[in-house]
Amino acid sequence: MAKRPVKCSVYLDGRLIGTVADGAAFASEIRKNRRAGVVSGEVNVSFLKKLNEVHVNADRGRARRPYIVVENGASRYTQELKDKVKGKEIDFNYLLRKGVIEYLDAEEEENARVALTEDRIENSTTHLEIDPAAMFGLTMSLSVFPEYNSVGKHALASNFVKQSQGLYSINFNNRYDARAFVMFYPQIPIVNSTAYRTLNMGRHPSGQNFVVAVTTYYGYNMKDALVINKAAVDRGLGRSVFYRSYHDEERRYPGGQQDHFKIPPATTDGYKGEHAYSKLNEDGIIEPEFEVKEGDVLIGKVSPPRFLEEQTSFGVGEEKNRDNSVMLRSGEYGVIDSVVMSETTGATRMTKVRVRGIKVPEVGDKFSSRHGQKGVVALIVNQEDMPFTNSGIVPDLLLNPHSLPGRMTLGDMMEMIGAKSSALSGIKVDGTAFSANGKDRADSYGTILEQHGFNRFGNETLYDGRTGKAFKAQIFTGIVYYNRLHHMVSLKLQVRSRGPVQILTHQPTEGKPRKGGLRFGEMERDALVGHGASLLLKERMLDQSDKADIWICKRCGDIGYFDFIKNTPVCPSCGEHTLERVEISYAFKLLLDEIKSMHILPKISLKSE
Amino acid sequence: MAEKENEFRVSPGEAVGVVAAQSIGEPGTQMVLRSFHSAGISSVITTKGLPRIIEIVDARKKPKSPTMRIYMEPGIEKNYEKVRSIWRKVEEVLVSSVIDGFEEDLRTGTLMLKPSKEKLDQFEINQRTLVAKLSQKEGMNVTSDEGIVKIKVKGHEIKQIRTTFVNLLNTPVIGIHGITKALVQQDDDGAFYITTSGSNMEEVVKIDGVDKERVYSNDPFEVMRMYGIEAARALIAHELKETISEEGLDVSFRHLSLLADAMTYTGSIKSVGRHGISGEKKSVFARAAYEETVKHFTNASVFGEVDDLSGVAENILIGKQIGIGTGRVKLGISKADLKKIKGSD
Repeated sequence: MAKRPVKCSVYLDGRLIGTVADGAAFASEIRKNRRAGVVSGEVNVSFLKKLNEVHVNADRGRARRPYIVVENGASRYTQELKDKVKGKEIDFNYLLRKGVIEYLDAEEEENARVALTEDRIENSTTHLEIDPAAMFGLTMSLSVFPEYNSVGKHALASNFVKQSQGLYSINFNNRYDARAFVMFYPQIPIVNSTAYRTLNMGRHPSGQNFVVAVTTYYGYNMKDALVINKAAVDRGLGRSVFYRSYHDEERRYPGGQQDHFKIPPATTDGYKGEHAYSKLNEDGIIEPEFEVKEGDVLIGKVSPPRFLEEQTSFGVGEEKNRDNSVMLRSGEYGVIDSVVMSETTGATRMTKVRVRGIKVPEVGDKFSSRHGQKGVVALIVNQEDMPFTNSGIVPDLLLNPHSLPGRMTLGDMMEMIGAKSSALSGIKVDGTAFSANGKDRADSYGTILEQHGFNRFGNETLYDGRTGKAFKAQIFTGIVYYNRLHHMVSLKLQVRSRGPVQILTHQPTEGKPRKGGLRFGEMERDALVGHGASLLLKERMLDQSDKADIWICKRCGDIGYFDFIKNTPVCPSCGEHTLERVEISYAFKLLLDEIKSMHILPKISLKSE
Repeated sequence: MAEKENEFRVSPGEAVGVVAAQSIGEPGTQMVLRSFHSAGISSVITTKGLPRIIEIVDARKKPKSPTMRIYMEPGIEKNYEKVRSIWRKVEEVLVSSVIDGFEEDLRTGTLMLKPSKEKLDQFEINQRTLVAKLSQKEGMNVTSDEGIVKIKVKGHEIKQIRTTFVNLLNTPVIGIHGITKALVQQDDDGAFYITTSGSNMEEVVKIDGVDKERVYSNDPFEVMRMYGIEAARALIAHELKETISEEGLDVSFRHLSLLADAMTYTGSIKSVGRHGISGEKKSVFARAAYEETVKHFTNASVFGEVDDLSGVAENILIGKQIGIGTGRVKLGISKADLKKIKGSD
């Protein structure tokens, strides 16, 4: 049987619109017209050989990236154009209009054959990569020397950069972010990338250049612990300010009732005591530059009662208002930075209070380099006790040598000598991915280091600050750009021995804002059972949790109560007074109540020990 | 020696079950959930790792990959030819795998098979055996020619005829039902044995020359049917141990043995979980605390169940000291009697 010529179906934005005889020719025709400017540059076309289909896409939501067009084995981006770009006669958009550069979406990329560099163009090549570093996304392209690091570390590093403190916005003083960190003295990294400069990231830097020595310090930087220099901290290393904004409004309720900003009168429900409101102005809102600490009220607010008052024998009783004030978060401290008063769209009064606190690096704060090398400060050492170099330089940070070989973050080491040579010579060092050969880089940094009288490998003789004696080994010392991450102990530390309990279960609350306890979970429970530690288990599950004294009727086995007026226990089921006091978990009492609510009557028979 | 033995004895009140559960559970977290299939042509594929453990513990009636190891009687153990002839009787060969093709005529109800000489030779069968096997079926009229077998089926309904044809093609010519593959292997002593995929102990044991006392199957239910619950218990513990060791993990056999005991002590194999061991606990609270809370409470209320609060879960719930470990020991004398003794002192 003769083969019937199969027509190639054409889809526009996923919908079948017709057929053509030759799909490949059709696709290249569209491309030709796109490059000529006849068809919009936002149209992408791909020919799927296996399915014999042409997909034309012009809808939104496609991720696209630019390539240089290659035709007949020659790049369209000619020397002439390159010179013009250098001379700033033309720009990127010009090249885009002229069809020298075009954007491809994921589908069209399947049809493209892209050369990484110009000298690798073959006859079949259709496109040329603008720069190898263009393969990365935003965060990754900000990293330096990524090609020397292990892949796993890139994902980590990209995440850490996003958590860093810095100058996130120039107008931070006019903003009321729920939570914000601003570093005192942020620096532009000595080593940065083309993308960093192009994006003008130096306008809002996010870290500082630390002098780092790769050495141990009496076991205080084991694993990912860091040792930092006290004097450096005092000079402002890693110091930042922490802003937290509190927000409240005078809500309206059905029935014409409304919240009121004011110092709550002592008769309100949940009154926190005169002392808590002492810093409030007459309008019920705190004033700027007041020092505040835990337990202070920032916005005094009185709300109407949640439920309608019950009818008493005296008629409708006086309404008991609730105290609904905003307090400073537990464990925090600071100074009131600013207060604004405004109106919401619902025409109710609204206020925002911003608290500022200074966060000096302390033991437990997290830092990270741009290579996924994170660490937690474990010791802050006086400058006198830190090791120092021949030239009298005291490192800001001591990094454990074990954190380098296993993690294979050679980019970190490259940055150390690169930044060091740059600091000595004043010549900027570029860390853009794939911009130079590794050996050439190390050699050029080494040469600069030697010119300034340093060891070409970055090693230096260090002297023990305590004894003044030189260490036997040469120690790798350099400069690394470190980010201070927003995970800080002062915002996380929480302890509890006694505290609030949940109303329903009488068990301790959960979570830091509620001063909660740590959960003693199922697996922990099983561990104690496995050890046979029955009394310890009882203490955890009962005494330290929801212990409750309950009266149980000896006759009918139901739960009773103690009548304090008659000074005798009462069983509501049978009216008897023969009850026994039993210590059980409140959760069990709750369970019995719930079973009763299902019309099942559980009975407890007592037996004396 | 006795002293040493005493040292290893489990103390009274030791929570052996919990310790066993933790000792099996912790290494279990390190095992890969995915079942790997090792590449290779002539190997028997078995389920391994966590999926296998789950299979055993859940007491699945049909394991994913049942397998057998058939040992020979000591006399013929090292005789390859004899072992090979036994192997012939084990592996199941279907009609469809010894023919080159077939033609069916649904109108007349005839099926023309073209037995392949090569394929028949490969399995050491001749056309006569094939015809004989097919003739055993009811309602067949089998005629045989050189290189052709003609079968006439009674009946006129097309659908029925078609089903019969399909069944015919899936009839085993030789071998034991359920054993899809068998391999002859040799151990270090030079003795031959057969490994199979698919398990059918009842039939295998009937073959002459097979050592009936050493036939091994990895299907606990089959072992239970053939050799009783004690054998099944040993198999469960052994299979667990094998699977865990294969992953390079080390769990003391005592824990696995306890688990096997718990699964089999009733005389039948019980799964671990709400349909097995946990679902048959005495205490209402213990069952309700595990799974299907409402079901257990409603049933308990309907049947007026009484919970004497003797287990661990119940006592944690109400907040009493648990009767395990240090909570195991109790004072033998009642409080009232104790006062009397003190008074007389």
